[in-house]
Amino acid sequence: MIVPMEHLLILATLLFALGLGCVLVRRNLIMILIGVEIMINSAGLVLVGASAFWQQVDGQIMVLILMAITAAEVAIGLALVVYLHQQKKSIDVGIFDEMRG
Amino acid sequence: MDILLILILLLPLAGGVINACFGSRMPQPVPVFIACGAVIGSFLACLGSLTLAAGDGYRLVLFTWLKSGNFQADIGLLYDPLAAIMTLMVTGVASLIHLYAAGYMEDEPDQVRFFALLNLFVFAMLTIVLADNLLLLFLGWEGVGFCSYGLIGFWYRKTENADAGRKAFIVTRIGDLFFAVALLWLFALFGTISIEGINAQVSGLEVTTVTMISLLLLFGACGKSAQVPLMSWLADAMAGPTPVSALIHAATMVTAGVYLLCRMFPLVSLSSTAMAAIALVGIVTALYAATCALAQNEIKRVLAYSTMSQVGYMFLAVGLGSVSAAMFHLLTHAFFKALLFMTAGCLINLAGHENDIRRMGGMRQRSPLVFWLFLAGLLCLAGAPLTSGFFSKDLILATAFAHGDPFHLGLYGLGVMVAGLTSFYCFRLAYLVFAGDFRGDELPHEPSALMLWPLYPLAILGLTAGLLNLPHLFSGGSWLSGWLGRTQDVLHLSISIEYLLIGTAIAVFVLGWLLAALRYRKYSERQPSLVGEFLLNGWRVDDLFDLLLVRPFKKIGRFCSQGVEAGLIEGVLNGAARGCTDLGMRLRGLADGKVSAYLQGLVWGFVLIVGWFLLRALV
Amino acid sequence: MIATLMFYLLGAVALGATVMAIIQRNPVYSVIYLVKSIFSLALIFYLLGAPMIAALQIIVYAGAIMVLFLFVIMMLEVTPTNAATRTAPGWFHWGPVLLLALTLVALTLMLIGLDPVSSEGVPRWHASPRDFGYTLFKEYALAVKIISFQLSFAAVGAFHVGMTERRRARQEDAS
Repeated sequence: MIVPMEHLLILATLLFALGLGCVLVRRNLIMILIGVEIMINSAGLVLVGASAFWQQVDGQIMVLILMAITAAEVAIGLALVVYLHQQKKSIDVGIFDEMRG
Repeated sequence: MDILLILILLLPLAGGVINACFGSRMPQPVPVFIACGAVIGSFLACLGSLTLAAGDGYRLVLFTWLKSGNFQADIGLLYDPLAAIMTLMVTGVASLIHLYAAGYMEDEPDQVRFFALLNLFVFAMLTIVLADNLLLLFLGWEGVGFCSYGLIGFWYRKTENADAGRKAFIVTRIGDLFFAVALLWLFALFGTISIEGINAQVSGLEVTTVTMISLLLLFGACGKSAQVPLMSWLADAMAGPTPVSALIHAATMVTAGVYLLCRMFPLVSLSSTAMAAIALVGIVTALYAATCALAQNEIKRVLAYSTMSQVGYMFLAVGLGSVSAAMFHLLTHAFFKALLFMTAGCLINLAGHENDIRRMGGMRQRSPLVFWLFLAGLLCLAGAPLTSGFFSKDLILATAFAHGDPFHLGLYGLGVMVAGLTSFYCFRLAYLVFAGDFRGDELPHEPSALMLWPLYPLAILGLTAGLLNLPHLFSGGSWLSGWLGRTQDVLHLSISIEYLLIGTAIAVFVLGWLLAALRYRKYSERQPSLVGEFLLNGWRVDDLFDLLLVRPFKKIGRFCSQGVEAGLIEGVLNGAARGCTDLGMRLRGLADGKVSAYLQGLVWGFVLIVGWFLLRALV
Repeated sequence: MIATLMFYLLGAVALGATVMAIIQRNPVYSVIYLVKSIFSLALIFYLLGAPMIAALQIIVYAGAIMVLFLFVIMMLEVTPTNAATRTAPGWFHWGPVLLLALTLVALTLMLIGLDPVSSEGVPRWHASPRDFGYTLFKEYALAVKIISFQLSFAAVGAFHVGMTERRRARQEDAS
């Protein structure tokens, strides 16, 4: 036994909450993307932990898929950031409020 | 032979369609030639194919029109003696009317529309006559209604003409509804709508069902034939051009109801209640219309009411169970009524386009020829001895008398009374129009030759058509009854009773003449009496309908439109819409365009979900 | 025993690095701190018997994704000044988020604590890259294909979105 499962989950929860806070608080578009990365990482941690806990390799494969999806998401997300920066010369989310009701 | 039979129908249709589509692009007389040629061709085809009809008749199925499950409607023709005699009459009279119309409508700029509608009308009427199933018959039935709507309202620029057309259409439509119900009911019962098929199977039916269906058919026939209670449209329909009045309201359309009842006679005759109802409707209409005709001032309205009254006789004949008497009267009536209408058109022209008989008079001097022609028609209508009207009316009355029971004797009495009234108003018309001096101030407008010469064959036919079904008393052979295969309609009364009946008829005729002569030989301006006014307005039936139907309907309509529609429905809808708008205006504050605010909302939802799981784990 | 100690140590490093990444005003520093956090997580993955994932974590995350971030940051010249933090976020802004995060953490921890399974230990276990590869390409072959499609779509999408206006106009002229 390395550690109790609990501790692993607690670590993941804390990381997730940190990422969430980053997404919600920061106004820089890039920082928001970084927050998303942190959250995805914490999810990966839980998956790897679960894989070890039940000694099944499937969890690790989920992490691999997660990474591929993250790569796609980051590619599109950053392209959008570049596009928005071209449009408004800024990457402050506060400026992009065209959908205000 | 088949091709002739098809041509009967196809020629008027082709003529109508060609005129409707290309008529306005052709040089002037061509559409008229097409129209007249089509109908005359149809008449010739009818003559040529007459031998097919003898005996049980001939059935020709062209193709299947509709097919769904066990429902099948063919475009099929049933050419039996009844249809043959009717086809011959319709095409013959229509040919003469077309020729007359060619003269009458000479100066009309919109001729093409007129002739296209006229041809289509003939086609629709022939569809009724020749249809071998009820659905095809119904198609013709509706086609006739539509064409008569277009023709009555032909001069639609005047509102009352268009209204008259609409009235005719709507009132007959009420009857059509009942006919349609009867049709569907018959299909539900027998699984077929073929006329022959239905008539072959009716004997197994319950009497109540037969009565109900017969009454529905009767009501449908009432609409087309202008019988009580759906009679009010006919007098107004005189707004149409005179050839239309002659064609629709004399010869063909109004007789469609009689024809329908004759067609379905094997069904109808099974229920004595329905037969009594038919006879009753007939005699009531005859009486009603005859009294109305007494007070009319417009020449065509007199004729319209007389038509109603004569069609009432035909219904009476059907109700008495004598198809041949009904068809006999239908034929003779078609001849002399077409003659009367067309001569009336000439008279109106002669009087300088004046409809009102109070402003006519002295027309005999203006045109002796028209006088004799009109008189021939009037004599037939009044039932002067040895004219066709005399024989056909007498046959109906004699049939009523021959039944012998009090109900039918009552019908006979009323019938005789109507005959007297008919004679009276005929001679009233004759005296007012022809006697004395001309009271109007218009110059005559000579009718063209084309308007006159179709009248001769009709006058001859009107005077001599009695030969078609001459009773034994006059050493005739009752040919029509034999041709229709209804020898049971031939009466076998004792000679003395026959003489008595004929004597009564002649006496009534003479009485009506004398009274009319007494009253109208010298024209005098009369203050309209209360009774006269009542009769002039057709017993105020229109007002009664207005009071009973139109006004409550309008009230309901107003209630629905203002109360239910504007108040309730729109109120609720507008309220709902306003509520949604208000809510939306309040909610739009939430959408502030800030991404993090949206995400916070998302996460709060997530928190709720986690809280729910926690709750489940705890409890 | 050493593994256990290592886990707690690495966990602390990961948390600390993440916190630092979040509170940096300069995104470049953020990314560097995040790389540190990712390295620690990769080591934790190794401890948990997933050497393959640990390697991929470093190669893909630190090597590719984070470098991509850096590229974009530098391309856009995002500096603390023009990162457009118009006003520094105050408590009014932080407060609800903090409350939210704390609630979420509290609830989740309670949920974890309630589950008896979670108190069991994670056993020592090792998934060899060979096992990993077998499972991936046998049982998850379809998923691999779908993910490849997903990646190519993303590449096309990014290419399209990233096109400059001028180039877009030129392409439309050409077509």
